[in-house]
Amino acid sequence: MKKTLLLRLGVALLLVVALVGCAPKEKPKVTFFWALYDGLTEDFRASVEKAFNDQSKDAQVQIVPVKWDDMQNKLTTAVAGGTPPEVSVVGTRWILDFMSTNSVDEVSQYLSKATLDNINPAAEEAKVKGKLMGLPIAAGARILAINNDIAKDVPKTMEELEADAIKVNKPPKQYGLIMPGKSHTELTDFCYYFYAAGGNYFEVKADGSYGKCTVNSEAGVKALTFMQKLALKDKVVQPGFTSMTRMDSHPVFYSGKVGYVMIGAWVDSAMKQAGSKFPVTYASIPSFAGEKPAGLIITDSIAFFSKAKNLKAAGKFIDFFYQDAYKGKFDQLVGFPPVTLSAAKDQFWNTPLYQALNAAALTARPWPLVDNFDTLNNEVWKACEKVFQGQASPKDALDAAAAAVDKARGM
Amino acid sequence: MRWQNRARWVAVPLTLVILLFLLFPFFVMISTMIKSGPDVYADPPHWIPSHVEWSNFVTVWTQYDLASYFLASLIIALGATVLNTLLSVPAAYAVARLRFPGRKFAMYLLLMIEMFSPVIVIISLFKVVAGFHMLDSYGALIILDALFTVAFNTWMMNGYFKTIPKDIEEAALIDGCNRVQTMTRIMLPIAVPGLVTVMIYAFIFAWNEFLFALTFISSKAKMPLTIALYNFVGRWTTQWQYLTMAAFLALIPVLVLFYVIEKRLVAGLAGGAVKG
Amino acid sequence: MADVPLTLRQRIWNPEARLAYVLLLPTTLFLAAFMFYPIAYVFVMSFFKTNKLSDLTKFVGLGNFIDRFEDPEFWWACVRSLVWTATGVSVKFLAGMTIAILLNVKYRGRKAARMAFIIPWASSVPISALLWQWVYHPEFGLLNHTLKITGLWTNPPGWLGSPLPAFISTMWVDIWIGIPFFALVFLAGMQAIPVELYESGHMDGAGPVRAFFSITLAGLRELILISTLLSAIWTFNDFNVIYILTRAGPANTTNILITSVYIDAFTNLHFDWAAVQSVVTFLILSLVSVVYARFYFRQENS
Repeated sequence: MKKTLLLRLGVALLLVVALVGCAPKEKPKVTFFWALYDGLTEDFRASVEKAFNDQSKDAQVQIVPVKWDDMQNKLTTAVAGGTPPEVSVVGTRWILDFMSTNSVDEVSQYLSKATLDNINPAAEEAKVKGKLMGLPIAAGARILAINNDIAKDVPKTMEELEADAIKVNKPPKQYGLIMPGKSHTELTDFCYYFYAAGGNYFEVKADGSYGKCTVNSEAGVKALTFMQKLALKDKVVQPGFTSMTRMDSHPVFYSGKVGYVMIGAWVDSAMKQAGSKFPVTYASIPSFAGEKPAGLIITDSIAFFSKAKNLKAAGKFIDFFYQDAYKGKFDQLVGFPPVTLSAAKDQFWNTPLYQALNAAALTARPWPLVDNFDTLNNEVWKACEKVFQGQASPKDALDAAAAAVDKARGM
Repeated sequence: MRWQNRARWVAVPLTLVILLFLLFPFFVMISTMIKSGPDVYADPPHWIPSHVEWSNFVTVWTQYDLASYFLASLIIALGATVLNTLLSVPAAYAVARLRFPGRKFAMYLLLMIEMFSPVIVIISLFKVVAGFHMLDSYGALIILDALFTVAFNTWMMNGYFKTIPKDIEEAALIDGCNRVQTMTRIMLPIAVPGLVTVMIYAFIFAWNEFLFALTFISSKAKMPLTIALYNFVGRWTTQWQYLTMAAFLALIPVLVLFYVIEKRLVAGLAGGAVKG
Repeated sequence: MADVPLTLRQRIWNPEARLAYVLLLPTTLFLAAFMFYPIAYVFVMSFFKTNKLSDLTKFVGLGNFIDRFEDPEFWWACVRSLVWTATGVSVKFLAGMTIAILLNVKYRGRKAARMAFIIPWASSVPISALLWQWVYHPEFGLLNHTLKITGLWTNPPGWLGSPLPAFISTMWVDIWIGIPFFALVFLAGMQAIPVELYESGHMDGAGPVRAFFSITLAGLRELILISTLLSAIWTFNDFNVIYILTRAGPANTTNILITSVYIDAFTNLHFDWAAVQSVVTFLILSLVSVVYARFYFRQENS
């Protein structure tokens, strides 16, 4: 009887091992982590995969769909666990952290000249000390969207924006400006005002590297004080803003209740989905009086991970993917202006929204390409939240944030 | 029991009130899943949609290929439940009924393992799974889902075994059964409510497990429902109507399982087993 | 049983013990294969500095611990974890017990009621948290809308918008998810209590309240101990609910130890600090477990 027991347990164990299965030896496999931008369909992903695999004589690609907010988690685990994908969509800002552990390779060595020459030089944010560490995949400037049913004026400065917002602010039926008050994965909302004030996140040392965090500079304090004024004194922002992330607050604009919002290329398709019925104009995000125009542009890149096995084959896949037939379609589905020169010629991009985006991109600045960027994000959001909760003054909150970032970066 | 009848008059209305309160988000889910996109963002919101968007079901099922995710979830959850039961029931019997050195230590050890949330150990686990060449396999998820509930289930089964009076077992032993036979033929049938509880727990844990699925699975064909649901949360917008529809559909197998198993939950002590 | 003291060999190698080892072997093998390295590595990491890939770089002994202990935010996270766990488990226990009693009464439609109570548990935690986020939404959420139009609360707060409401709102979601578990465990446990006990109790003149305390609760004692202990461990480590609803905000006011571990590990890539906090979590939970276990093993012998 004990034998039958052992037998049963043994069978159970064997079943499990069988489930594991012996991996059959196959062609070299390229793994591509595919970030799920809004608008990308599963059909499209599958079609790209199939198209490449059908025409490829050796390597096969596996395109892994990953939700954007989970991408960093999944990537960090895979890289730290020693089995990274060959290529992955990354937020360009993550590249510095990967570089500090030698986890990513310079990308030009794997790509054809045709692909590289086709890239719009303005989009090449991931150039570190002359080496291209990430191939741009999407670059989106941020703009101001104006609900023309409520607001008619296009502000030329931040001060004008404040005045315009106050003018249209008629609570509780309508409000002046959208401002997310709850932290989310991106630092955009503080950044608009910070760059508008001419701020820099870090001091730049003589050798070009980043030194101490200067988010608590005069520009930073001016920006956060202005945000505090808009939200708590002028009270022109949507109600309950401290419980709303960007994803929570933008739909309030789509529902037609708010005059102004700072937003990106997705505004058009999002408004269609939400059934918005009001006319919209687009403009560049203004700066404070006397400051240079300086919006924000965010790029995502494709990174090549050093410890992966089939990097050359991965390069061939990326060359394939960046042809207009696929990359152009990708751009149109996602809604972000193309980073390739050829795809940008398509008539699809000839709309007021894209004209505004391209105009904004001319003067827009990217985020600093620095290690520990997520710590910076986290700390600045904490500072903003402290101010919105009335727990600290802008100066004190930003001082604490700068100190925390310096500590994390060892400055 | 006489007061059972009177209890009914209190129990039913009270249960209804509690249910109404507790299931509030569930009603929100139902209300949202039949709305169209614009209706979802109606301001102010309303419970009853202006028109019922039945096509949400079609969209979610076909465009997003929900069936494939369902199948993957089913494989993982059933596998994990079976493995977990095979692991924890014998272990529970051992700690409940047998004396051996290290018994208390074993129980402490099981508790200790419960204390490490997956987020803490995920990177090391990744290395282990990669070392076993089990990345992107159902096996990895089945084993890990089973392991992360084995400590709890062993303790719970131990508790249920303990509620069975020792006399029943002694009677069987005297009648010539050996230990394992008493476990399978005597104790388990009586402890069925407990067994059902731990099986449901193992199933629900595996059915709803997210982090391991995210970390270890790369083939779309093997991705379970928990990953699928997140398809509707984009980077800039969330499609609440599809998310709630898919979440509702994901609920159904769990409820069906519970429906089937509920009878066993209340199989009490076989009346008269210990008389005399 | 004979009272002759057994030799060590006899204590380890008798038929009863051998059977126990066989029964425990599969579990032990799987756990050893998969969990030993990860758990051991967490402990080791806490004594080293790590790089951004969680590799060990420099041995610092207790340096990491001292560093964390000097940070007031660490102690705040500990306090919040304890409040979070104690409140959560208590409410879940009371609600679960009440519901179990209600579901134990016989009436038609009881099966449907039992199925309905499973619902909060039947969805995955991230999805439930997302659903609650939608319910709590200030503008589009049906909670505030319903409160306003029924007149129950004409000016409801932004549930996730300020520290105290955020803490309570997230705690409530964790409780909401956890109630069915307790209800189910107790309901199943109540089935094992012989009806005869109630009958003889009734004959002795005991009313339903007396019967509950001296019969039901007594019969469930073991299960109560186990389930509250295990619930305490999970509640302490419940990461998803807070992270999804508030990301430990606003301004860290809903930051508990487990969210701090995640943020240190995956946002700040500071794996050594995450390891330290994991070890502290382990120590706190072990302390609780030891106290519990004493109760448990003592009442086992009675």
